Amino acid sequence: MKRQNVRTLALIMCTFTYLLVGAAVFDALESEEETAERRRLEAKSQELKNKYNLSAESYRELEWVVLKLKPHKAGVQWKFAGSFYFAITVITTIGYGHAAPSTDGGKVFCMVYALLGIPLTLVMFQSLGERINTFVRYLLHRIKKCLGMRRAEVSMANMVTIGFFSCISTLCIGAAAFSYYEHWSFFHAYYYCFITLTTIGFGDYVALQKDEALQNKPQYVAFSFVYILTGLTVIGAFLNLVVLRFMTMNAEDEKRDAEHRALLTRNGQASNVHPADVSSAAPAAPGGGGGGGGGFRNVYAEVLHFQSMCSCLWYKSREKLQYSIPMIIPRDLSTSDTCVEQSHSSPGRCPETPSNRCFCNARRSAISSVSTGLHSLAAFQSLTKRRSSV
Amino acid sequence: MKRQNLRTAALILCIFSYLLVGAAVFDALESEAESGRKRLLEQKRGELRRKYRFSADDYRELERLVLQAEPHRAGRQWKFAGSFYFAITVITTIGYGHAAPGTDAGKVFCMFYAILGIPLTLVMFQSLGERMNTVVRLLLKKIKKCLGMRTTNVSMENMVLVGFLSCMGTLCIGAAAFSYFEGWTFFHAYYYCFITLTTIGFGDFVALQKNEALQKKPPYVAFSFMYILVGLTVIGAFLNLVVLRFLTMNSEDERRDAEERASLRRARNNIHLKPKEDSRSSNAIFLPVEDRTSQMNLIPLIQDAERQRRQSANSAAAVPSFCTCLCYRPQLCGSPVPSHPETLSCHTNPVYYNSISYKIDEVSLSTRGQTGSSPGSTLSSNSPRCRHHPRLRRKSI
Repeated sequence: MKRQNVRTLALIMCTFTYLLVGAAVFDALESEEETAERRRLEAKSQELKNKYNLSAESYRELEWVVLKLKPHKAGVQWKFAGSFYFAITVITTIGYGHAAPSTDGGKVFCMVYALLGIPLTLVMFQSLGERINTFVRYLLHRIKKCLGMRRAEVSMANMVTIGFFSCISTLCIGAAAFSYYEHWSFFHAYYYCFITLTTIGFGDYVALQKDEALQNKPQYVAFSFVYILTGLTVIGAFLNLVVLRFMTMNAEDEKRDAEHRALLTRNGQASNVHPADVSSAAPAAPGGGGGGGGGFRNVYAEVLHFQSMCSCLWYKSREKLQYSIPMIIPRDLSTSDTCVEQSHSSPGRCPETPSNRCFCNARRSAISSVSTGLHSLAAFQSLTKRRSSV
Repeated sequence: MKRQNLRTAALILCIFSYLLVGAAVFDALESEAESGRKRLLEQKRGELRRKYRFSADDYRELERLVLQAEPHRAGRQWKFAGSFYFAITVITTIGYGHAAPGTDAGKVFCMFYAILGIPLTLVMFQSLGERMNTVVRLLLKKIKKCLGMRTTNVSMENMVLVGFLSCMGTLCIGAAAFSYFEGWTFFHAYYYCFITLTTIGFGDFVALQKNEALQKKPPYVAFSFMYILVGLTVIGAFLNLVVLRFLTMNSEDERRDAEERASLRRARNNIHLKPKEDSRSSNAIFLPVEDRTSQMNLIPLIQDAERQRRQSANSAAAVPSFCTCLCYRPQLCGSPVPSHPETLSCHTNPVYYNSISYKIDEVSLSTRGQTGSSPGSTLSSNSPRCRHHPRLRRKSI
């Protein structure tokens, strides 16, 4: 089966299994506590009902009033500060729900607002995240140079470590701040920051809901907004570094397949192919022409062919060099700049951390074998191994 | 300023203005209703308190009780069905909050669960979405063939249209179903589906919370779960088609810049590579046009053609490689085919190219000129300008 289909099926299976496992664990963790709490609350409410001689009907009425007043308890939600807070929760898809549009007009506008705002925000965070990553990479490169380290390239592992630590510290800083301002425990504040910055946004803990903070404490309000947006950027940068490549995997494989197919068809059309004679094999054009457009088209064909095999060459060379970096998708830009410069300054030497591109010149033998194999479909078909990750 | 920085700064400004505008509009729409409602509710509360003669303490207690009991009103939330529902809201980041872990252990597990689950889910939805787009593209092509249309290529507009209609269809189907099962109006059900499938998940409307549905109506429960997951896939497919390419734009520009710098450096050093010499450049694959010397190493073939092209390349602007439209320089491409050269030197955004129908899967290269896809036509129409504006990039953001 095609690789993309296998990968997609595997991911679906994984997700379903993950959901099942999660459900089971949450059940185990929360179910008992839930039953106990429910019983407790029932008992208490029964007490109150008895004390005040409330009928079920009137109790329901009271319940309704209390629940409806809940958002209002937290302060005015829809003045400008509150609306800004709400707008943030919409376009970042956090969606606490502490305030939700009650008017139909508000609901309609909310939907339209989200429709445009969410993609815009996604693109913005990824854009800014990439800039941050590039900047961090550059800084790290300089630091490594300054420290006089032999290899000043910034590897993926470096970047991932830094990204991970920035995420953790962002969470901790937020946890410290919110536990102070909102009088939550550090753990609960950390949980709040986590749920917010992953955009899950349950709404069980929501900042700016105590003591009319939205109206009375503008600095705290500003801090919260800045924190949420900056925190999302940091997380976005980390995602950009680690996850984004996986989201384009199927599309890349699809393109490679298409190129292969095209090459195969074109090679199939070529009648005079001399596998051993590289120099004269160039004009494998349909018309057998040497120069001009047809010949050039064949150069492209060869390069495409080579390129498609290149990724596996890259992995071959990687395997031989035994890199342990887990990220082996050749689309990481982390070292593109430094690696290219490196490769330029030291001709023929393969940099320690190869750029994620097809580092096909790693071995001359590989190249010559590939170039002789270029015109041999058999050789091509044997190199159908692709990236080894999912 | 570098293009990526400009783009990023522009996006930041956009977002801030968008937030300001949104805040102002929401304020205008909701503020009055809010104060009106608040007044009414407080009146009612006062009435009820007087009626039942609640003491202040007792009323506070009552409030606390009611608020704490709120999730319980909707039924058991943490049995398996409820937990599964909760797990879905976590890894899809919907996060209604209708049920949230009460125990600290539950909170900790929730965080770990999210750390692993969210990327997994993101990748899964994009993966499945891409497969769906491919199937749709195939189907559309077959349909076009059956209908006997002249051009059977599936353009980007076709795909976007189909994607948009599927999203609308998904939302409407969900709205109909939930308005029936939950007793909401169609509009509220539609709003619920929208808020759910965009993963905002306010929690003001939550399915499966009436009449102990989680325990008592397994088919409805199964339908809700499937609907959420399938709906997210459809939205994911549309995002994959339309938005994903923009997420990788900065990275691609960065890579292009790096290649540009490298090749400039190489050109400046004027390396005369012999055919068999080991190429130091891993750019060889990516810069066939501008820096064919390295390409020669890999494919030590058509030397005369290469020389010919090298001359024309050197005479032309030295750095068209950054131009997405670079590949269309007619004298080099020798054919109106945009696809190959583009894939070669602009071997950057697979989503970008993949989503355009001119896949290189047919030998009908000559017909490729008619690819109606907008980026393709945009790019090919750029070709005459390319020579003059080598730095022109793709027209989008």
